Amino acid sequence: MLTEIEIQGIILRALENVNEELDADSKVAVGADTCLFGSDAALDSLSLVSVIVDVETEVSTAAGRQISLTDDRAMSREVSPFSDVHALTAYIAALLAETV
Amino acid sequence: MIDTTQYAGRVALVTGARRGVGRIVSEHFLSRGAEVVGLARGEPTIDHPRYRHCRVDLADAEAIQAVFADLRGTVEHVDIVVNNAAVLTSQYAMIMPAGAAQAMVNVNLLAPFMVSREAAKLMRKRKWGRIINIGSMAVSLEPVGDSVYAACKAGLSTMANVMAREFASFNVTCNTIAVTAIDSDMLRQLPRDKVEAIIERLPLPRFAEGDDILNVIDFLASERSSYITAQTIFLGGVN
Repeated sequence: MLTEIEIQGIILRALENVNEELDADSKVAVGADTCLFGSDAALDSLSLVSVIVDVETEVSTAAGRQISLTDDRAMSREVSPFSDVHALTAYIAALLAETV
Repeated sequence: MIDTTQYAGRVALVTGARRGVGRIVSEHFLSRGAEVVGLARGEPTIDHPRYRHCRVDLADAEAIQAVFADLRGTVEHVDIVVNNAAVLTSQYAMIMPAGAAQAMVNVNLLAPFMVSREAAKLMRKRKWGRIINIGSMAVSLEPVGDSVYAACKAGLSTMANVMAREFASFNVTCNTIAVTAIDSDMLRQLPRDKVEAIIERLPLPRFAEGDDILNVIDFLASERSSYITAQTIFLGGVN
């Protein structure tokens, strides 16, 4: 079972990976408070997609089972799991805590 | 003379690789040095040291995701995708079984969507990829009986065009080859006289040969096509 610290590490690495792909003036400040989605989002939409893809892949590999971060449940939550790194970490931890 | 190194180092994924166009394409890539991953529902029909067969029901989106989850751990990359698998039920719309229509949507449209999106995730890492869809002249000719099939193939082109925009920054191109009739199991499901009547009206009135398709695939899969994306190339003079 992944810990929240490990999950957050995966998210931060995904953000750093995306940063490497961005131009110098588009790079984002990477941290636990980084806003991923919404009007204050640090990322453009395509970069967010890249982060989601990387996090989904890494978490699925580490957890040994497939997880989806973009199913209807995630999209219909009152508070988006993509609002910031904290929220995404908590959402993934909750997903992993569910019985398969 | 065959260039046996043309695709050396490339991994090509072909859906519907057991027979017809999919088998022709797979064997073409293999003969030119590629590793090929074939996706199909049935047992493999290709025996080659660089060929890997994945049995999967392409109508099942979750099964496609499971195949890619496995591939992520076993192949380092996927460079070329040929979305070839398709099913065809030709029938007047008013008596087309809903199940047959749904099967066409699942295999002809949803499956290439799932395969393309999962492959793009792998291609993104290497910043190189070629997604090639096998479309159909039915999009333009709109034959009676092919309402759902033609709509799926039109959707396939449109889907590729949108994906071409989304994947452009990863250096992944998405194009469609709209093939004319080629002698295949699928075509043999249709009345021969109906097919021949369509062929006779083509600007180039003959059946397509494997090389007609492979020539275009070779171009679209190459570096030479790096500035070509979101295009549908019709064979046989159809437009």
